[in-house]
Amino acid sequence: MGKKFEVTNNIRKLRFFADEMTQQQLAEKAGVSRQTIIAIEGGKYSPSLELAFRIAHAFGVKINDVFDYRMAEK
Amino acid sequence: MSYQIAKTVTNILSGIVVLVVYLFYVSSRYQADLLVMDELKSWAQIMLIFIGIGIAMAIVVQIVFHILFSIGIAVNQSIKNGSCNDQEIEKTIELEMVEDEMGKLIELKSMRVSYIIVGVGFVASLFLLFFDYQAFIALNVLFASFFAGGILDGFTQLYYYLRGV
Repeated sequence: MGKKFEVTNNIRKLRFFADEMTQQQLAEKAGVSRQTIIAIEGGKYSPSLELAFRIAHAFGVKINDVFDYRMAEK
Repeated sequence: MSYQIAKTVTNILSGIVVLVVYLFYVSSRYQADLLVMDELKSWAQIMLIFIGIGIAMAIVVQIVFHILFSIGIAVNQSIKNGSCNDQEIEKTIELEMVEDEMGKLIELKSMRVSYIIVGVGFVASLFLLFFDYQAFIALNVLFASFFAGGILDGFTQLYYYLRGV
């Protein structure tokens, strides 16, 4: 059976270090709704590559500082 | 509650209201012996009227919803900041109403569910005709399947917004 992988993110942490940026502010910078940011942050939605880049750009970091692809925890 | 979830709940409720009113109207006319079951023309008339009511209601509900939503944002901002700025309210509304990739994906998925329900309703109505049920029953099943499709479309959207895609 194949190993299960998942996309994880550091958005909460990055928001904290970005002077406690709100989800609304991040949504505005990334050009999406707050609902989408909530879903991404909660791991309920994996964004498209373009949106992932836009989020990384909003924080001024590289995409792999925001998202990670790792083996799912059991 | 986000704009998308609130809008979906409103759509579901308006769909349910129209379906319930239709069922209530038809059953009350049936009990009063005012329905001519075999006359498809009168059924078509009733259904066309209710399609019109459904469209009008959807428009009115959306207008009322957006007014209430704007008031909600204004109240929220005045509680937070102590005052409310028109431009800020407009900006917040614009930001909340953004239709992005997640919204489009959810819409596609929910539309698929809706098509399945309508398709099943259509096939069921054909089966009813095939098994010699009266045409008005098949017509009602088809009509109800459209409304059920719309309502389930809303529930599917709600599910994906709350549980994730």
